[in-house]
Amino acid sequence: MPTTLDTTHHDRRLARRLKDDPEFRAEFERQRREIAQIDSIVRQLDELREQAGMSKAELARAIGKAPSSIRRFFTADVNPELKTVAAVADVLGAEVAIVSRGAAPAKGAGGKRPRREAAAAKAILVSRVDV
Amino acid sequence: MGWGIVYFKAKDGDVPAEDFLDSCPAKVEARFYAVLEAVRNAPPPRFSGGGYWEAMHGEMGGFYEIRLTGPGRRQYRLFCVLDNADSDGLRRRGFDRPQIAVITGMVKDSGKKFSDRDYAKVRALEVQYSKRAPRSIAS
Repeated sequence: MPTTLDTTHHDRRLARRLKDDPEFRAEFERQRREIAQIDSIVRQLDELREQAGMSKAELARAIGKAPSSIRRFFTADVNPELKTVAAVADVLGAEVAIVSRGAAPAKGAGGKRPRREAAAAKAILVSRVDV
Repeated sequence: MGWGIVYFKAKDGDVPAEDFLDSCPAKVEARFYAVLEAVRNAPPPRFSGGGYWEAMHGEMGGFYEIRLTGPGRRQYRLFCVLDNADSDGLRRRGFDRPQIAVITGMVKDSGKKFSDRDYAKVRALEVQYSKRAPRSIAS
């Protein structure tokens, strides 16, 4: 009977790092948000492509790229270029928009936004699906 | 069932990936973990990892690398393979679900390249990993 190995080492190590190191934790959470946004945009584009009944090769032809480059684009084999994201979105009748995560920061004295508040209002990328 | 993440453990007991992660700046280490967590939650062929997770080609075909830039433009790389099979195959390897096997990592200065020998070492570690059933992993 084969032995089932203990595969929890990574989870325990990550939990420990998150608990013990505030710098690690802050960066981990920030990166998770950033990665989730990028992944979400590419996946939404793939869903739009499927809804449009368009093959990856057809999509590639429509934006003047090689079919292999679009296959890689949708499978994380390469870092997606913003230019390609915008071109794919355009062909699929969508666009990439920037939205504020929260309320706009209040202006400080002299009409300038304090740096810290501006940073708190950091924008996120979303894909519009109003085809 | 979701994927797991395991670290290859060498014959001498060393865990090269863990040694590498321990040597990284905290922010770089945190980013590696964020990518690994994203990929385990949406493994290939789905897009995941925010563009930091990339398939390798040529002699490194079958590997995936996480590519990060750290302080001073230093280039940090974590080398992984996907360890998946049918349920019997997974059981022989000691797993109850597919795994992202983290083999090792390397760092280089900006503008420098890893040598063929560097990559050969990574492949040799993976051979050690994949020839064992059950797998040799950190626990």
